[in-house]
Amino acid sequence: MIRTVNLVKVYQTDEVETTALNELNLEIKEGEFVSVMGPSGCGKSTLLNVLGMIDSPTSGEYYFMNQEIGHLSERGRSNIRKHNLGFVFQSFNLIDELTVFENVELPMLYTKVAANDRKARVEELLEGMNIMHRRNHFPQQLSGGQQQRVAVARAIVNHPKLILADEPTGNLDSTNGNEVMRILTKLNEEGTTIVMVTHSQYCAEFGNRIIRMLDGKVVTENLVKQYL
Amino acid sequence: MYKNYIKIALRNLTRNKSNSVINVLGLSIGIAGCLLIMLWVSDELSYDNWNSKADRTYRVASEINFAGTHQSYAVSPAPLAQALVSDFPEVESAVRFRDYGSFLVKRDVQNYKEEDIVFTDSTLFDVFDLKLIAGSKSALTEPNSVVISETAALKYFNNEDALGKTLTFDDNEVYEITGIIKDMPENSHFRFDFFVSLTGGQEANNGIWVSNNFPTYYVLKKGVDHKAFEAKVFPHLLEKYIGPQIENIMGATYDEIAKSGAFIRYFYQPLREIHLHSDLVAELAPNGNIQYVWIFLSAAIFILIIAVVNFMNLTTAKSALRAKEIGLRKVMGSLKSNLISQFLCESLILTFLAFLLGLALAHISLPAYNQLANKNLSIPFSNPSFWTIALSGTFLIGLLAGSYPAFYLSGFKPIQTLTGRLSDKKGNVTLRNGLVVFQFLIAVVLIVATMGIRKQLSYIQNKKLGFDRQHVLVIDDAYALGNNKNAYKKRLSEHPSIVMSSYSSYLPVPSSRSDSPLCKSAEIREDNCVAMQNWDIDEDYIKTMGIELKEGRDFNIAMATDSQAVILNETAVKLFGLEDPVGKTIYGSADAGPDAGFASIPLKIIGVAKDFHYESLRENIRALGFMLNESSGSLSVKLTPGNPSEAIAHAERSWKELAPGQPFSYRFMDESFNNIYRTELRVGTIFSIFSGLGIFIACLGLFGLAAFATEKRTREIGIRKVLGATTFGIVSLLSKDFLKLVFLALIIAVPIAWYLMSQWLSSFAYKVNVGYSIFIFAGLSAILIALFTVSYHSIRSAIANPVDSIRNE
Repeated sequence: MIRTVNLVKVYQTDEVETTALNELNLEIKEGEFVSVMGPSGCGKSTLLNVLGMIDSPTSGEYYFMNQEIGHLSERGRSNIRKHNLGFVFQSFNLIDELTVFENVELPMLYTKVAANDRKARVEELLEGMNIMHRRNHFPQQLSGGQQQRVAVARAIVNHPKLILADEPTGNLDSTNGNEVMRILTKLNEEGTTIVMVTHSQYCAEFGNRIIRMLDGKVVTENLVKQYL
Repeated sequence: MYKNYIKIALRNLTRNKSNSVINVLGLSIGIAGCLLIMLWVSDELSYDNWNSKADRTYRVASEINFAGTHQSYAVSPAPLAQALVSDFPEVESAVRFRDYGSFLVKRDVQNYKEEDIVFTDSTLFDVFDLKLIAGSKSALTEPNSVVISETAALKYFNNEDALGKTLTFDDNEVYEITGIIKDMPENSHFRFDFFVSLTGGQEANNGIWVSNNFPTYYVLKKGVDHKAFEAKVFPHLLEKYIGPQIENIMGATYDEIAKSGAFIRYFYQPLREIHLHSDLVAELAPNGNIQYVWIFLSAAIFILIIAVVNFMNLTTAKSALRAKEIGLRKVMGSLKSNLISQFLCESLILTFLAFLLGLALAHISLPAYNQLANKNLSIPFSNPSFWTIALSGTFLIGLLAGSYPAFYLSGFKPIQTLTGRLSDKKGNVTLRNGLVVFQFLIAVVLIVATMGIRKQLSYIQNKKLGFDRQHVLVIDDAYALGNNKNAYKKRLSEHPSIVMSSYSSYLPVPSSRSDSPLCKSAEIREDNCVAMQNWDIDEDYIKTMGIELKEGRDFNIAMATDSQAVILNETAVKLFGLEDPVGKTIYGSADAGPDAGFASIPLKIIGVAKDFHYESLRENIRALGFMLNESSGSLSVKLTPGNPSEAIAHAERSWKELAPGQPFSYRFMDESFNNIYRTELRVGTIFSIFSGLGIFIACLGLFGLAAFATEKRTREIGIRKVLGATTFGIVSLLSKDFLKLVFLALIIAVPIAWYLMSQWLSSFAYKVNVGYSIFIFAGLSAILIALFTVSYHSIRSAIANPVDSIRNE
C-alpha cells in the first residue's frame, strides 16, 4: 500500500537546515497496524505528514497504492487525501466554531455526500463512540477523551483505507487512552491500515509492527511478539 | 518606565514590518490628504480677510425683476456710492469699480493686451488695504491717473522708476502713473494690475439710477448696526432718486409698475462672503463656491476617519499576538493603568511618525497639487498656529486611535493569556466589523460621487448645444483693424482651410452682457416687453456658428430693410406669445439718456433660430435677438477639419499687414467653452484623486485586517485542508466574511450617495440622470476591490502546505 524510496525532507529556516527524513525507505502492506517510535526530533511526525500528503518530500519517491504522489500538485494530493486518508492528532484539531456533529460531518461535505446520508453516517458514528448526547456541543465543552473520540469519528467518517495517528493518546489519561487504542484496534481488525506515531511502548504494542527511527532513518523493524 | 515603553514600541514596529508599514503608511497618507485638502479649504475661507475693515465692508447687489427676466447683479448704479456717503452718516467711505474689459496698453511702441484693468474712485485706498510702495493715497484723485501693480511696473519699466511715467491705452488715452502697489493677494475676489481713475469719466458722473454697471463697496463706521442700516437704505433711495427717474422714463410710478410683479431691490453682501456665496451676473471675477468647500471638507474628514479606523482596527486585531506579553507584564506586577499608558504611548509614537511622514508626503506632492487646483498654496511651516493645530490634532488622533486597543488589551486576564488560547471577544469582532462596514460605506459613497461628477461633466462637454463649436477660431479685438475689417475678412476667405468668417458683438459662450427690452408695441410696458439679449451680428454669423433656423430666413446684406430686422430665438418667441412670428414687427430702443424716455425703433421679425445654449448649462436658455449691425467685438473663423496651423499663420500674417503694431490674439471656441467648466473639471479631478486615496487607504486597512483574520484561522484552514477542502473552497470561505460586510456597506451607502448626488446635480439646469448603472458599477467595484484585497492572503494561505498551518499549535 505504501512504499517510499530514498525519501528526504529538509526543513530550511534562515540559518539552520534540518534534515528530518534522510533517504528513508519503508514499505507498509494493506491491513497492517504499524507503530512508529523514536526520540523527539527523529522525524516521526514528519514521516507521518509526508505519508498523509499534508507535507511534500524534498526528494525521493512516495508510492501510495502504486501511484507516485510525492510530487503531485496540492489539488491532486487533496483529492487522494479526502477519499483515502483519515487523521487523528495528539491535540485533536477540532474546529472550535463548529459543533461536534458539524465537525464529524465536515469531511463528507468535501466528498459531496448527500445530506441524508451524512446525517445517518454521523449519527451512526457518534452512537458507536458513545457521544451522541453531545452532538450539539462545541469542542471546548468536551473533555479531552470525548474530543479525541470525536476526532476519531471524523477521521473514519469517509471510510478511509489508511488512518494516520500522531500520538493519539498523548493528551489523554490512561482510561481514555485505552479507549482510543481499543477503537483503533477494532478498525484495524475491520481492515483499515493504520500508521501511528507514539512515545509509549504500551501503546505501540497494540500494533503488529514497530518501527524505530533515529535521525530521519529507520533503524530497526520488529514484529510485535504476538505476531512473531 | 517610558523608556521601556518606547523600546517595546519600536521593537514591535520593526518586528512586525508589513503590519507597521500598513499601519503607519495608511495613517500618513490619510494625514497628507487631509492636510492638502485643508490647505485648499482654508485658502478658500480666507478670501478678502486681508482687508483690515473686512468685517464692516459690504457690496451692494441688485435684484431686478422686469419684463420676464429675473436676475441678480453684482453691479449697481453710478450715483449710488456718492449717495451712500452723503445721505447716510453711518457710512465711513464707499468706492466703485467699472470694468470696461481689456485694453491695449503701450509704453513706447509695443502694445500689450491687458485684461486686469479696472476703473475706480479715489477712495479705493480708504476701503481696501492695497499696499502702496510708491505714490500716496490720493493717487487717483486726478483724471487720467493710474495705479499699477509691481508686476505691471516691472513689465513696462523693468528696473526704472515707473512713478510719474505714462502709459497709453488703446492708442489714444494717456495715463500718468501716480502710484505703485504691491501685487494684490491671491485670496481676493477681484485682482487687478491697473487701477485707473474714474474722475472726470462721463459714465461715472451720469446720475442714471436705472442702469447698473458699477460694483459698489462701502465701509460702515465702527459700531453701526448693519441690519438697521440695511432696512432704511433702499426705501430712501427709491423715494429720493430711483422712483422719480422711473416715472420719467416709463411714464408710470414705481408702485404702478410693481403691481404687475416687477421690482427692483438692493441687497448687501458682506465682503468676506462674496467669494464663496455670490454667483451673480457681472461678478468682477468668477467666484468660488461654498458647496465645493463643503464637499472638500467632508472628503478631508472622511479620509482622516478611514485612516484612523484602519489604525484602530489593525491595532486591535493585532492584540491577540500581544496577549502573552500583556499577561506576563501583569504577572510581574503591572497595573491596568500602566498598560493603558503603555499602549497609548505606542499609539502616539506611531501617530507622530505618521504625521511626520504625512507632512513630507504633502510637501512633496504640493507643487503638483497646486497646478491641479490652480492655487499657490504652501504649508505654513513658520506659522505657530499651524503647528499648534497640527500637533494637537495629531495628539488627538493618537489618543483616539489608541484608546480602544489600550483599554481592550489592558483588560486581558493574565491566566487566559498565559494558558489557553485567547479567543476574540464577540463585542470586539462586532466593533471591528462595524468599522469595516463604515469604511466601505464611505468608499462606496466616494466612488458614486466621483462617477456622478464625471458623468455630469462629460455630459456637459458632449451635449449638443445647438451650434457647432468645433473648428471655430476666435480672433479677439477686431476693432484694432479699424477700416480694414472687411479687407481682413476677404483676405481670410482666400485661404483654402477657411470656410467663412463673421464679426459679432458676442459669441455663444458666457460673457458679461446685459439684457435690454424689446416690446410688442411702441411703448415700454411690463406686460408687453421681453428683456432679452441683443446681439449685433453680420450676415455670415448664423452660418459660421451652424445655428439652425426653425422658420423664416437668414439676414441678407442685399436687402436694405434687413438693417431694421431681427431674428429671435424660440424662447423669445415663446415669451412674446407670438403664434406666427415671421413678418410681425416688434420694437427696440435706441440709446436713450436718463431723461429722454423710450425712443422706439420698429424691427421686423424675419426668422426664428432654434434655441441654442449660449450660457452655462447651469442656466436655462434665455431670450435672444440677433440684429444685423456693424460690430467690432470678435471675428469667428470657421475652419475645415484638419491641422489649423497654416490657417492661423495666414490669419496672423494678414493681421500684421492690416493692423500693424496691434497684438494678434486668438483662441478656439471649444476651449472657451471648456473654460466655463474649468472649476467643475478641476474640482472633479481633485475629488477623483482624493476619493481614490480614500479607497486606497480603506483597502490598506482591509488588507491588514484580512491578514489577521487569515492568521487567526490558520489552524482551521489547515484542518479543513487535511480533511479535503480545495483551494477555491478555502478562498471563498475566507472572502465570504468580508464580502458580507461590503454588501452591508453597499446597502447603506446607496441611498446616501443617491441623495448627495441629486443635491449636487440640482444646481444644473441640464443634467444627467443619476441612474442605476453608477450604483451597480460602484457596488461591483467595491466588491471586486475588497475581493482582490482579501484574496492575497486567502490564496496564500489556501495553497500553503496544510502541515504548516497545523504545526502552529
